[in-house]
Amino acid sequence: MLVRLVKYVTAGAVAVLLLAFVSACGGSSSSSSTSAGSAASRNDEDVNGVQAPAPQSGGSLTVLLEASYSGAWPTGLDPATNTTGGANQSQMNAIFGQLFQLTEDGKLKPDLATDYKFEDGGKSVLITLRDGVTFTDGTTLNAEAFVWNIKRDMDSPCTCKPLWQLKDVSAVDDHTVRIDLKSPNGALINGMLVSNVNWLASPTAFKKMGPQQFKMKPVGAGPFKVVSDKLSNELVLERNPDYWEKGRPYLDKLTFRSTANDESALQALQAGQAQVYEGMSTPSLLDAYKNAGLTVTKEPSTSPYVIQLNTKAPPFDDKRAREAIYAATNSQLIVEKLFDNAETVVQSFTAPGGLFYQKDVSGYPPYDLDKAKQLVKELGGLKVDFFTLQSPVNTSFMKALQTMWQQAGIETTIHLYTLNGLIQEFQKPNWQAALQTAGAWDPPAGVGVSFRFNSTSPYSGVKDPKVDDLINQGQGSVDPAERKQAYDELGAYIAQNAYAPFLFPLSSYSIATDGVYGPGITTQIPTVAVDAPIQYQDAFRTSGQ
Amino acid sequence: MSTSVPQLRVPLAGRRSGRLTRAARAPLARFIGRRLLMVIPVLWGVSFFTFVAMNALPGSAAQSLLGPNATPQEVARFEAQLGLDQPFFERYWDWLTGVLHGDLGTSLASGASVSSILLDALPVTAELILVAIVVALLVAIPLALLAARRPNGIADRAGLFLSMVGLSIANYVLALVLVYIFAVKLRWLPAMGWTTPGEDLGQNLRCLVLPAVSIGLPLLCFYTRLLRADLLEQMQGEDYVVTARAKGAGPWRVLVHHALRNSTFGLITIVALNLGTLLGGAVIVEQIFQIPGVGRAMLSAIDNRDIPVVTGAVLVFAVIVVLANLVADILYSVLDPRIRYGDART
Repeated sequence: MLVRLVKYVTAGAVAVLLLAFVSACGGSSSSSSTSAGSAASRNDEDVNGVQAPAPQSGGSLTVLLEASYSGAWPTGLDPATNTTGGANQSQMNAIFGQLFQLTEDGKLKPDLATDYKFEDGGKSVLITLRDGVTFTDGTTLNAEAFVWNIKRDMDSPCTCKPLWQLKDVSAVDDHTVRIDLKSPNGALINGMLVSNVNWLASPTAFKKMGPQQFKMKPVGAGPFKVVSDKLSNELVLERNPDYWEKGRPYLDKLTFRSTANDESALQALQAGQAQVYEGMSTPSLLDAYKNAGLTVTKEPSTSPYVIQLNTKAPPFDDKRAREAIYAATNSQLIVEKLFDNAETVVQSFTAPGGLFYQKDVSGYPPYDLDKAKQLVKELGGLKVDFFTLQSPVNTSFMKALQTMWQQAGIETTIHLYTLNGLIQEFQKPNWQAALQTAGAWDPPAGVGVSFRFNSTSPYSGVKDPKVDDLINQGQGSVDPAERKQAYDELGAYIAQNAYAPFLFPLSSYSIATDGVYGPGITTQIPTVAVDAPIQYQDAFRTSGQ
Repeated sequence: MSTSVPQLRVPLAGRRSGRLTRAARAPLARFIGRRLLMVIPVLWGVSFFTFVAMNALPGSAAQSLLGPNATPQEVARFEAQLGLDQPFFERYWDWLTGVLHGDLGTSLASGASVSSILLDALPVTAELILVAIVVALLVAIPLALLAARRPNGIADRAGLFLSMVGLSIANYVLALVLVYIFAVKLRWLPAMGWTTPGEDLGQNLRCLVLPAVSIGLPLLCFYTRLLRADLLEQMQGEDYVVTARAKGAGPWRVLVHHALRNSTFGLITIVALNLGTLLGGAVIVEQIFQIPGVGRAMLSAIDNRDIPVVTGAVLVFAVIVVLANLVADILYSVLDPRIRYGDART
């Protein structure tokens, strides 16, 4: 956490300095009004997607990743032992490719797989692998290798391991794998996008190199292969000449480099040391990035903020207290004042970029300050211990909510925790309220609805068999219409019981210098975890190679 | 800045030089031996308290590595895999016995040996700190001499201004200002990253400039002010200065050949004592410039609750500081042959 401490200690100073510099140097940008103007107009276009020129092959690209999230891979890059695999999607996708990938239009596209078929009402899945694919060590990617990978992944310590009730996994033929489950799972394929099972490692290379060497220089069948790997610092990849898709990747070299924070990333991009920055998440720096002439692409988030209320302990075991929080929370005002109307207020665990999005939830309690005051009066006052993960955005967000709730007479004490502190707080039976995110591209995957609402989850504030049942219905069915119905019903049930007010999903931004193009870099792809799953095999540069 | 050297012994005059040398060598060796023996409890204490502190922090390596989505069951299983379910003293004893056999343990995160992690990172930090100190001294000494030559003159006032600025600005703020000017605006130097001298010496030096200046400028200012004050004290109150002047030595000669030599004792003490602070500064600067040194490895390890790496890194830092102080003490006798350590016959 000290890394984060240093980050936050410096972040304030950095932001102030940076903004001061940007303001001070406003003369230079305004003096060249043409370039500033063109940059601004280009940025406006970029939000909806840059018109990319014809792709060009060759060149290298340096990508910056934030040190406390995607830029940390302390346990290496073996899919089965990388405990931060969920955050390291870009590195993993580049090395291993993906069985399935998410496209710019939010659709699932087979990549190293070619097809899948549910059987037995979702209790079995047949996945067909692409023919003629080889790992970069020259061995064949076949069903046997896939089975070997699944077995390792199921034993992985990573929270990105598949959450299947696995009964058996077997190779049906050379290119088909059968997965048998104890209970139906209609989200199995969609869930692969946030799971380590989406990345296939070479069993032969693993056995030859041994686990320690393999995690440092893993072998996959992706568009790039590893040249050098300095853990959580720099990963250098080169083009895989035998990649299954002819003509891809366009880039000859791809380097991932860790950077301290959003401010240092801006400086490195301006200094010409990198061309892409993934997952910029400080709204107050957006103008600084745009004024620097960088292409800023807003990636649609699929995980809305939620105010989790512990319904198993006072004061939120009383429905009136929960209703008071709903009635005192004006999400639209926060979006207007803190996020410049750039985000969409939601009423459920789904978001516009994800599947099964529910815009209006039946019976969702609206903002009503008078009602909030009345409820607080009825309760004889309401005091709330409210906690979240420490970050500059969360801090301002929490203070806004505290001020808002104060108007209704709710006394709020804010607690900002590091990761370990946050988890310890959740382990206390009497925690009260937490600001978190809930949701995913497909609701049950990753930190989705099950994680925040299922009775058995340690991070849930709700213990309600009806909620569990609806979650299972949504996940269990292979029929999208049935799944949608279950999630709509669940959203309404959560609202009617005032279990947890939803706010809005906070977008992340992909940043690129001039002449860089790619899906998820200069176009939008829904986020499957926190950042957009950028497809580096399709990325290219037209200048400054 | 008065010079105070521990356990100084000035030998009686009139001894023959050969005898003196032999007599002096043995006490010096004994002195070094005693100091090295004192290092053992110091290092044990450092390692033990680091181990205690890391264990007192909330969470564990398993929790940190698995992230916020892990269930308590998953964390417990991973803790068992990492051996963190063992009692504190058992884990510490295992680590300590390993260290006594030359094994600093294995990183809980990467599984790599701590020795190999530190061996990769140490040359980077050493180069950074060494360059910062050398450059700071090379600039500070002439500045202090100029300032002391004419107190309240132009050079003195300019030096005072520079020192005030340098001492007032935190090194991480200075780093950001330097990056903005020299990397972002002028594009002369890299804003981040590292190249080893073996890969490309020119690029290595380019990578080194901004971080070394960020660490070195406050040092430079500190050294300048201290040395100036000490030189003035020497010039104004010491008999040997009056004697030198009476013998017709010019002001620069008195300053450089006589006063500076005496003032160097204080400077050496400060440089040695300052090393701990300097290592602390390097931790922050390495993070800002993404330099893969010991500081960055340690911060990352603290973040991951990677106790063996943190303890190993702290141990290395402790060894460096202790040895630097020992070298400083030895340097006294090199600079002034009259000084001998622990000569019981005097």
